[in-house]
Amino acid sequence: MNETDHDRRRDDIAAYLLGALEPGEAAELERHIAGCAECEEELQRLRPAVRVLPETVEPVEAPPALRARLMEQVRSEAAGSQAAPAARRSPRWGLGPRPLAGLAAMALVLVAIGGYAISNGGSGGSGTTTVFTGRSPGVTAEMVREGETGTLRLANLHQLPSDKVLQAWVQRGKQVVSAKALFVPNPDGTATATIDDMQGVNTVMVTAEPRGGSAQPTSAPIVSVSIPQ
Amino acid sequence: MKVRGAKAERLADEELMPRIGEKDPDAFEVFYDRHGGVAYSLAYRIVGERGAAEDVVQEAFISIWRSGARYDRARGSVRSWMLGIVRNRAIDALRSKAGRAPKLDFDDDAVLEHRPSGELTDAEALRRETAHELRGALGDLPGEQSKVIELAYFGGFSHSEIAAMLEVPLGTVKGRMRLGLEKIRGELAGGLA
Repeated sequence: MNETDHDRRRDDIAAYLLGALEPGEAAELERHIAGCAECEEELQRLRPAVRVLPETVEPVEAPPALRARLMEQVRSEAAGSQAAPAARRSPRWGLGPRPLAGLAAMALVLVAIGGYAISNGGSGGSGTTTVFTGRSPGVTAEMVREGETGTLRLANLHQLPSDKVLQAWVQRGKQVVSAKALFVPNPDGTATATIDDMQGVNTVMVTAEPRGGSAQPTSAPIVSVSIPQ
Repeated sequence: MKVRGAKAERLADEELMPRIGEKDPDAFEVFYDRHGGVAYSLAYRIVGERGAAEDVVQEAFISIWRSGARYDRARGSVRSWMLGIVRNRAIDALRSKAGRAPKLDFDDDAVLEHRPSGELTDAEALRRETAHELRGALGDLPGEQSKVIELAYFGGFSHSEIAAMLEVPLGTVKGRMRLGLEKIRGELAGGLA
């Protein structure tokens, strides 16, 4: 290879590092580099210049709600939720195959899922496991109570607009308070929320709320699970 | 839980990744707290909207959570690997939104960060000390060089798209890219001296 060829290769390497070569060109260059020590050296020499580019970006503070949503999802999956298959997520820019209008329509329907114990007698006391299941139009809900902790598993949810999250609420008597659980549906329409304190709870609800959550529900529940006392 | 979390905070990124691969949420939390900020800043720089940037970061970090075990030290630092994933997803989102055919697929290991570099450790050390200087590194380049680099790296445009956009020959675009990267590399070398 003559000097002119290598000059051209050096230019190609810069474009390659910046992700600016077409896929076929990149593959061809990779094949060349695999057998050319000089170009490999050039690649490694220039690479740090590209690696610092993300660090040149003006810092923008990430919203705390993003961290909360991520950790909610991660902890749910770590807890052995069946809600998170390893399948790749599809880009949400197109909001997936489920139409947004479906969420709005569904949110208008208040569905009280009649809870019923299917194991351990439904006492809900400490150390027992009680499961409440039910089905609202289009949404399947399963509430698992273990001692004072509850796990709400939902399926067949529609994807949310990017400015919305799901928020879990608990009702004790007539008082409705946030369960401090913000989450979004997985790509397959499932979701899991953990309720830390089930003491005295007679209903668990989920609403769609603005990012960051709300102090009080601002929309009708997507699902409402009654918990027998 | 708190004991595990406290321990995770003392681990290097490369030591966190196997823990994340074992689905340790405390390790992941430490990982996010270390790098979530720069990830979000990069995503926002590329997609230009807060909501879209959140989507990109969430998808990127969940993909890391679900495939943390795929990280290979030979690929470079964890931070660069992660930023490569964020950048790829942000560019893909940007191109999808703009109706441009996705140029990058979701192979998080592909493009930009798939070869080892012994120099990265030094670059990482440099990062914390000279973040402000780095932010100026691109801005200090001649405009024609910084423009092609920004269009490629932050805009996801190919060299041929940039050439058409700027109405200059392909070779000129690639030459400006190289000259710009050479200067940034020179500044890094000077900073490390």
